[in-house]
Amino acid sequence: MKKAICSLVLSVSGVMAIRAEVPSAMAITNARVVTVSGPILPRANIVMRNGLIEAVGENAPIPADAWVIEGEGLTVYPGLINGLSTLGITDSSAIGGGGGRRTGGGAGGGAATTNTGAPARGPEDRPSTTSWLRAADLVRPSDKRLETARSAGFTTSITFPTRGIFAGQGAVVNLAGNKPGQMLITSPAGQYVSLAFSGFSGYPGSLLGVFAYIRQIYIDADHYRLAKEMYARNPSGVSRPEYDRALEGVMESPRVLLPASRTVDIDRMIHFAAELKISPVLYGVPRGYTAAARIAKAGVPVLVSLKWPERRRDADPEAPETLETLQLRDEAPSTPKALAAAKVKFGFYSDGIEKPADIAKAVKRAIDAGLSDDDAIRAFTLSTAEIFGVADRLGSIEKGKIANLVVTKGNLFETNTKIQYVVIDGVKFQPVPEAAPAPTEETN
Amino acid sequence: MKSLALILLASLPLAAGVDDSFLLRGVTVHTVSGQDIPNGSILVRDGKIIGVGAKLSAPKGIRIIEGKSMHVYPGMIDSGSEVGMIEIDSVKETTDLAELGDFNPQLRTLVAVNPSSEHIPVTRANGITAVMNLPRGGMISGQGSLMHLDGWTWEEMEILRSGAMHINFPVLTPPPSRSGDSRNVPFAEAKKDYEAKLRTLHEFFEQCRRYQKAKAAALPGFQTDLKYEAMLPVLERKLPALITAVRERTVHDAVEFAAQEHIRIILADVREPGKMLPDLKAKGIPVVLGKTLELPLNDDDPYDAPSSLPAQFYQAGVKFAFASFSASFSRNLPYQAANAVAFGLPYTEALKAVTLNAAEIWGVGDKMGSIDEGKWADLMITDGDPLEAKTQIKHLFIKGKPVDLENRHRQLYEKYLNRP
Repeated sequence: MKKAICSLVLSVSGVMAIRAEVPSAMAITNARVVTVSGPILPRANIVMRNGLIEAVGENAPIPADAWVIEGEGLTVYPGLINGLSTLGITDSSAIGGGGGRRTGGGAGGGAATTNTGAPARGPEDRPSTTSWLRAADLVRPSDKRLETARSAGFTTSITFPTRGIFAGQGAVVNLAGNKPGQMLITSPAGQYVSLAFSGFSGYPGSLLGVFAYIRQIYIDADHYRLAKEMYARNPSGVSRPEYDRALEGVMESPRVLLPASRTVDIDRMIHFAAELKISPVLYGVPRGYTAAARIAKAGVPVLVSLKWPERRRDADPEAPETLETLQLRDEAPSTPKALAAAKVKFGFYSDGIEKPADIAKAVKRAIDAGLSDDDAIRAFTLSTAEIFGVADRLGSIEKGKIANLVVTKGNLFETNTKIQYVVIDGVKFQPVPEAAPAPTEETN
Repeated sequence: MKSLALILLASLPLAAGVDDSFLLRGVTVHTVSGQDIPNGSILVRDGKIIGVGAKLSAPKGIRIIEGKSMHVYPGMIDSGSEVGMIEIDSVKETTDLAELGDFNPQLRTLVAVNPSSEHIPVTRANGITAVMNLPRGGMISGQGSLMHLDGWTWEEMEILRSGAMHINFPVLTPPPSRSGDSRNVPFAEAKKDYEAKLRTLHEFFEQCRRYQKAKAAALPGFQTDLKYEAMLPVLERKLPALITAVRERTVHDAVEFAAQEHIRIILADVREPGKMLPDLKAKGIPVVLGKTLELPLNDDDPYDAPSSLPAQFYQAGVKFAFASFSASFSRNLPYQAANAVAFGLPYTEALKAVTLNAAEIWGVGDKMGSIDEGKWADLMITDGDPLEAKTQIKHLFIKGKPVDLENRHRQLYEKYLNRP
């Protein structure tokens, strides 16, 4: 009887208790709050309910039913967003290697074969294409990497399949949930494109072949769209357009992630996107510091890989290294600073780095190279949310936004700062102890 | 008078026939071993030089060749070539350079040489009269052979049937590829692989020594093995090992290897001697250098690194000769030497590196390499400095016999010159 009344109350109030029977109201009091969207609040309360931020402010009233966490001495940031990752995807066949940082050499995995496994002969075979794959369908909360990512302060990831030339459609997902569906914030977030080709085993066998293929796909997509519209208007007496899931996948994607490792790639991709009339997001960009002004002029957003170029640990200690290599290694971490100075919208992505300590180290290098703390936190939160069109829900600590937070003792970007806990959809998660071994051997 | 001499020379092949005795006079003799002799003479009998001097009197009945205002140089020697072993690189059937397997010391290069190769007349036309032909492939590729660039058969071309044992020294890591370092083998793995290869090489030498000992014991039942048999002269230090070693680390390890195995070595294609130069000098290890006109080994090397390399060896006092390591580019040998001159190598040293030094390195300094009494009359008659590209080789003698300078390049030149 009592139970029935309970559910009646819930349905009347129109609120779904998603997580559990635990009451969802929670408040962090007297903490320093880095809102990102506005000024830093030196001492404020954050009230959360049903996975959303209900109130923020110096004197925000604490509801009577809220579980109160004393925030004295703590700093609260919006949850960090990993701008491009495979977090949550456990099916390794959807994940390529290398993250598309290198052009060519089959870096992104995915042989140039059709779905039947036969070598592709041309663009009509849609080689290395799985544009219809949706990260939204692939993410699983059981992915062991999620816990590690949370320990690094990530609450959200823009997760993509990464295998092939058109790898598939990304999704904005929260890095926790009981069921896969609970993780999803929005989908599709964009199409992941890499320049993967593998020798001459099938079309495309060269970089120029890859470009020709991408171009052909967009031309085909334009034609396909027209044909479908015509047919929809008057199906009678018109032959039906052949269903093509590769083109469907490309057409559904609101933006396209394009790799740009060398300076020439940056210019090339900006022109390429303009030519194809697509909304590009450049990813990788270790040489962004050489072209920040041009990126800014083109108004193209950028996802900067945190995997700064480094000497391979297993490299020949006596092998000569070129000046160019040394220079890149030295200057790549100044890319975020250069992008910020040029007012380019940019975010960060982990690019396969998993250990929280390694991520902290990578961010520290960008800050040491001149990136301000403010720009760094914005890149990790609101900027990435803006790039993927979810700034109305994510990226800052404001009333109405999803309750994704990182709570630290001290400045987030100091290497010895400890993350106390993260909040995802209003649920608190403790970081795993530092000593814990890497929970997975996945390299990406 | 001058034109008369030219006419005489021009008609020489017909008049001379196969006669290999003559007195060449009125020429500037560039002996290489000593001073130049202006208006000098060279007396040749039965293919050998029997007199060089300012004024030689003609023995009775000998043919006299007037060569006023011309220059005579010893024929050049390419100290590492593949002339006659590759005709067309991309046509598999015309290449005969390498055998399968790591150890093939029993292979002799000269039997693989095609005396009718089109590359031979082309190479000769630039004044090259002898080449050290080298096999490729495996760790011990086989025996290089020093050969004259004239003969109906390889037997007629032979100078040294076995001039050196060619060893491709194992390389720890190949130079980084330009396409990025993503697929390079991890260093630890490469090192293990390298050490294993080096071990096999040492083991092979040990097997050869065991064979040597068993052979010396001459007990009944001893079985001859051509591989081991071929290695005996190397173990006895009668035959040098020509070790290809490009980078400093390889050069270092090759020199160490030679010391451990007590063998005599010559290094080939050294492009990065580094700190090994004084060591090479101290141990008296000669070197065969490759192209001087090519891209530097490392991206950040100075643009002239290959060009100024020979001068470095000269300054360090290391004896060296030049090699094309090629069939079709053997003809560029004089220009390899010339380019080194432009980058600091004294001219006389450059000339020596394609003549006398080469002969001495290959142990035939008493037979060729300079214009001296007792040596073969391998001579080129030119209208100038043979290291200059514009100089024409007017006549060429190999063992005193005039050699036809007609070649495929010239035929093509004439063909297209006559195009209407």
